[in-house]
Amino acid sequence: MSSVSDFNQPQRQSLIGVLVMFTDTFQKIARGLWPILVVWIFKFNELNKLYVGLGVIGIVSVVGIIAYLQYLNFTFYIDEENDEFIINKGVLNKSKIAIQLHKIQQVNINQSLVQKIIGVHALDVDTAGSHKKEVSIRAISHDLAIALKTKLLSEAKSASVTNEITEMVASEKDEPFIAISFLSLIKIGITSNYVRSFGLLLAFFFTIYENVQNLMRNSDALDNVDQKIGTYINESVAMYSAMLFIGTIFLVIMIINLVRTLVKYFDFKIAKQNRSLLLSFGLLNTKNTIIKPEKVQIVALSQNWLQKKMDVLNFKIKQASGSESEKESKKSAIEIPGCNAIEKDQILKLLFAEFPQKGTMFKPNLRKLLFPTLFLIVIPVSALLLYGFNVDNKIFEYIFFLPAYLIFVGLLLFFSFRNYRLFVNQKYIIKQSGAWDIDNEIIEPHKIQAIKVSQFFWHKPANIGSVTIATAGGTISFHLGNFTKVKELVNLWLYQVETTEKNWM
Amino acid sequence: MQDFTNETINIAELPKFEEVQFQPLHKDYWKIILIGNFILLLILLLAAGFLLVFAEERRENWYFFPIVIIIVFLLSVVLGRISFKKRGYAFRQHDVLYRSGIISETTTIIPYSRIQHVALHEGVISRMFGLASVEIFTAGGGDSDIEIPGIEKEKAQSLKQLLLTKLSMEMANSTLENE
Repeated sequence: MSSVSDFNQPQRQSLIGVLVMFTDTFQKIARGLWPILVVWIFKFNELNKLYVGLGVIGIVSVVGIIAYLQYLNFTFYIDEENDEFIINKGVLNKSKIAIQLHKIQQVNINQSLVQKIIGVHALDVDTAGSHKKEVSIRAISHDLAIALKTKLLSEAKSASVTNEITEMVASEKDEPFIAISFLSLIKIGITSNYVRSFGLLLAFFFTIYENVQNLMRNSDALDNVDQKIGTYINESVAMYSAMLFIGTIFLVIMIINLVRTLVKYFDFKIAKQNRSLLLSFGLLNTKNTIIKPEKVQIVALSQNWLQKKMDVLNFKIKQASGSESEKESKKSAIEIPGCNAIEKDQILKLLFAEFPQKGTMFKPNLRKLLFPTLFLIVIPVSALLLYGFNVDNKIFEYIFFLPAYLIFVGLLLFFSFRNYRLFVNQKYIIKQSGAWDIDNEIIEPHKIQAIKVSQFFWHKPANIGSVTIATAGGTISFHLGNFTKVKELVNLWLYQVETTEKNWM
Repeated sequence: MQDFTNETINIAELPKFEEVQFQPLHKDYWKIILIGNFILLLILLLAAGFLLVFAEERRENWYFFPIVIIIVFLLSVVLGRISFKKRGYAFRQHDVLYRSGIISETTTIIPYSRIQHVALHEGVISRMFGLASVEIFTAGGGDSDIEIPGIEKEKAQSLKQLLLTKLSMEMANSTLENE
């Protein structure tokens, strides 16, 4: 094992990792050339099979040679004198990357499908300041990866003053203190993300429908059939087929969600390392991430009625990210799916050292309902009526859909208003929102970066206004509350931020 | 820990951000806004001119162009004036405030302890008037940053310096606390 722990000499990756490099390069080429490939596939019969075969063999061998050269030229070692982690790579353009150890923020060990099959791991090094993960060792054995990670982080510790890193290194193979059960994942899979999947499916069906229509228009012979179908649908069968359609969509959504959740979050384990949480999950690609409580800015809990009945909920944890763009901070939100009540309390305790209580409740003004009602009910309904009376009153044959729509939207609006609340006490700001999925976003006042108070001029007489709290992990807004109270809260938060001795990170 | 106290805070007695006197932007900044508007006018006129010269079929309704352009110009001047009047900034002991907005009046507040860095910008036109803008960044992302335009350059520089010293003071304090 002496060779394992010695990282002072330049060393290569696992030899079998050539395969990983091979698939990586192959993927890149395929991505770049896919239009040509598609053309080839369609013209397959017209092409000379011999040339195709030779071409394929040629490409494969070239990629293979490139992969092998990449493997040969990729070396990594730790330069003890300068406290740097050094990587040499590149076939034609050779490059040498040196990372000062104290700049290393995080070392992640991941595994993609290919890596899983051949039994190697990827090791990514995150540094402060860079957006991309510029350093990634693609193929390394598990023991070596762990040893290197420990080494990198412990070296980082000696260079920097903070002691949080020692805690991280302390014990890699902690027993998971929470393991999300397969059953919980199934529960979450069939009860979440309805809206998004519905949108995707709708888009999918519309494009198909359009294409089919175009196809039918193009062929005159089908015109008759088209008309027949048109009149046929006009019958009361419409109701029945619509129900069937909705039912099918619902089923498809459920199955898609279930499969997606299971693949993404399979074998979700949370291990505790002193004060950090280590997560690992994934069926095809195994991912590892770490949550440090002091870096956590927003903790969001989400649960709908069904999930409440089944005792599961979702966590979304937003940590402070080095990058400034909103998009990337969204990406860095970490999800923990399918916790039950006990696991929820355990995680909250780890993050906050206690269970955050909801404080004084603030409600939005009734006017919060005004705009959504206008856009979702008043405008569509009047547009429908106008169209029906002035253009084509055939549309009234479908009028039985209207009450269903009104009830649906009405309920949505009612619940989204009723659930829209802000809870404030000395230690926590909790914002609750959502019609079906009820989100609770928790912020600690000392993590506030900036506060924005705004008021539309027509809201001045009614004394209502909005507040947006910016943290390093995203923002939280509370719209159309009592403006006097909002201002009081802002003054309180400013006082808390400006007197606190706690760091926001 | 014996001198640890934990009295209830009387929220009504906390300093109120809404009662702060905001400092208006430098009066020359209004000229800059006007110049900007005139440049816009010029561009619009040029575009319309090109259209009329090269697209002959549009000449019939030529009077349509100047009317629209004048309306756009007047509107943007009036809105610019209102927005100029609305904008203001204030530096308190512990935070900086910036107010702006016509339709929605927005006040952004950044505590000094949360400032990441400060930048000073000078536009071409504002340099002619000796004005600069100060931009204050936090870790909260682009939406929560403050950019105060129309400050005399010297004042802007001293403001930047002030903020930076506040920043380093806070840093020193926090490192002291950590040790």
